[in-house]
Amino acid sequence: MREITYRQALNEALMEEMEKDQDVFLLGEDIAIYGGAYGVTADLWKKYGDRRVLDTPISENAIVGVGLGAALTGMRPVAEIMYIDFIGLCLEQLNNQVAKIRYMFGGKCTVPLTIRTEGGAGRTLGAHHSQSLESWLIHIPGIKVVMPSTPYDAKGLLKSSIREDNPVVFIEHKMLYNTKGKVPEEEYIIPIGVADIKREGSDVTLVTYSRMLLVCMEAAARLEKEGISTEIVDLRTLLPLDTETVVRSVKKTSRMVIVEEDCKTGGTGAEISAQIMENAFDWLDAPIVRVAGEDVPMPKSPVLEKLAIPDAERVYRAVSKLAKET
Amino acid sequence: MVREIIMPKLGETMEEGYIVSWKKAERDSVEKGEVLFEVMSDKTNFEVESLHSGYLIKKLYEPSDKPIPVTTIIGYLADTPDEKVPAVESKTGERKSEGERKVKVTAETAPAEKESEMAMISGEPSERLKASPLAKKMAREAGIDISVVKGSGPGERIEKKDVLEYLSTRKEKEQGAGEYRIQEWTPLRRIIAKRLTESKREIPHYYLQGKFLVDRVVHLKENLKEKQDTELTYTDFLIFAAAGAIREYPLINARLINGEIRIYSAINIGLAVSVEQGLLVPVLKNCEAMDIRSISIERKKIIEKARASMLSENEMKDAGFIISNLGMYGVENFQPIISPPGVAIMGVGKIGKEMIVVDDTPQIHYVMNVSFSFDHRVIDGSYAGLFYKRFKETFENPATG
Repeated sequence: MREITYRQALNEALMEEMEKDQDVFLLGEDIAIYGGAYGVTADLWKKYGDRRVLDTPISENAIVGVGLGAALTGMRPVAEIMYIDFIGLCLEQLNNQVAKIRYMFGGKCTVPLTIRTEGGAGRTLGAHHSQSLESWLIHIPGIKVVMPSTPYDAKGLLKSSIREDNPVVFIEHKMLYNTKGKVPEEEYIIPIGVADIKREGSDVTLVTYSRMLLVCMEAAARLEKEGISTEIVDLRTLLPLDTETVVRSVKKTSRMVIVEEDCKTGGTGAEISAQIMENAFDWLDAPIVRVAGEDVPMPKSPVLEKLAIPDAERVYRAVSKLAKET
Repeated sequence: MVREIIMPKLGETMEEGYIVSWKKAERDSVEKGEVLFEVMSDKTNFEVESLHSGYLIKKLYEPSDKPIPVTTIIGYLADTPDEKVPAVESKTGERKSEGERKVKVTAETAPAEKESEMAMISGEPSERLKASPLAKKMAREAGIDISVVKGSGPGERIEKKDVLEYLSTRKEKEQGAGEYRIQEWTPLRRIIAKRLTESKREIPHYYLQGKFLVDRVVHLKENLKEKQDTELTYTDFLIFAAAGAIREYPLINARLINGEIRIYSAINIGLAVSVEQGLLVPVLKNCEAMDIRSISIERKKIIEKARASMLSENEMKDAGFIISNLGMYGVENFQPIISPPGVAIMGVGKIGKEMIVVDDTPQIHYVMNVSFSFDHRVIDGSYAGLFYKRFKETFENPATG
């Protein structure tokens, strides 16, 4: 099978959906002529023109608001927020309007709006351009939150998001755009809300998503050499959370480590941990462990930035401690 | 209003109790002061009264020989019969109880003492057994008591692999040993097992052995019998002699409690008594103030009570020195295990005629084989030797003792 990058996979997804459905259009900052800050919308403007690929002013609240209005009136907009760090500017639209309007109008309208954005650290962009804010978003009932880790998942999930009649926040990772993976040429989609076992194992369950999957895979390879078998659950969608898959894995291994780039306090890992306590308590043979980002604004220094988020070494240490000492 | 009913802590050393019976059924009305249930602890039964009027809406435990840690919620009392039982995940806990129960002890207990016992109920949490939820579930499903499994996790937490290992060794043993039947643990058996294991594990025991020449005691006993006077037993003479010797060597009467060596002025002597279900130690209090006849009367009373399972908690506590006699079975000698917090115990063997060399001449004497076990943390050998010597002198010369 051919291998393409995460960026290409996303670009293909957009193009295929625009081709298939005339109501799909894109809007965002620098996405048309420039092709997007990370190049995801490259060449789409050339192909589909001004009416379907719109460069907007720098006004995130307006981007989401326009997207909502278009969605309510029958379009399938895909809005881009260049950095998730700017999501705070759109929270009035996103939290109070986008997420609630279908509910408040008794289901008389749908909101087929996809908000693409990207997050995470790794490029030493400092505290304003390196955050992981997904845990804010999973606290908003009414939206879906998708965070793919591989080119294959990115393409399949973006296509599903665009076809979804409810609003989706689709969070990419800036360090994944150049990663490559197998993506079939024929069309496929991946359902929202279904986690994926990226690696089967028997001793410890690693639950993760987005870029941290790569970190976990690296740690798992090292752990395997030492005889520790890890099972890796890639959540892929954070809201709704596929608790069932996580529970099934924990029932198999009885030990769980959650790995997230987001800072630890109040993070997604806390929610997963609570779900396991509620649903699989009797299968736990050791306390749940979280490996997460430090509770600090992301440092600009490359050395400190590396220290602020989990890496394979930290995951390796946490898992091997959990598997060995106990 | 719904009130918790908990397993009361009825004495300093009580960690768990057994429900002997409920005196009320669920939804029965209960008057303040009425007996709610009966508890067995440290070898005694207590009736526990309700402090409030209301309805027994829920029993969480049925009577059984499974021990229940003190302060565990065992049921609920409500003002009306239809109130809902609160949902509780954990039944044990370090809950602060408001003295929800009152205990009626058959024997008289001083009010002050009662109060301190009540304080104990709400005070210290019992030490918690650490086991992973999975290990607990596996133990439950295998029908084993998880406390018998040794934990290998952090802080000795019992985990899955420990339960598996326990089950596999048990299986091996079962396969090797042929047919058997399982003797159920009785509550008393469990208590004996726990206490004596602790004693033998923690107390550095050492032993003294000797022979008492008891011709005089034998004769005196027979004379008294002929005179139809009070019938004294060898045990009475032993208690009397022990009290005398302890008066001079008070360390023998010490008890090791909370790291303190407490030397009591009252000389309370315990007697090991075999009963149907196991072993009891009724206590003869204040032996220092009694002559041998009073000792004999008290001794008879208390042993009869023990055999009839009528002993109160009070009659079994605060033993110092303990006497255990196996002489009637023809046993020559044995080394008894110290019963903490006491620090000394005596094992009495049979009385019989033996050839003894006195002044280069073989003589026939009545001889009693005795042995003593001491706690070396408190009592050194020379001190024990002096005590032994004094005991022997007193016992061998009853007229002067």
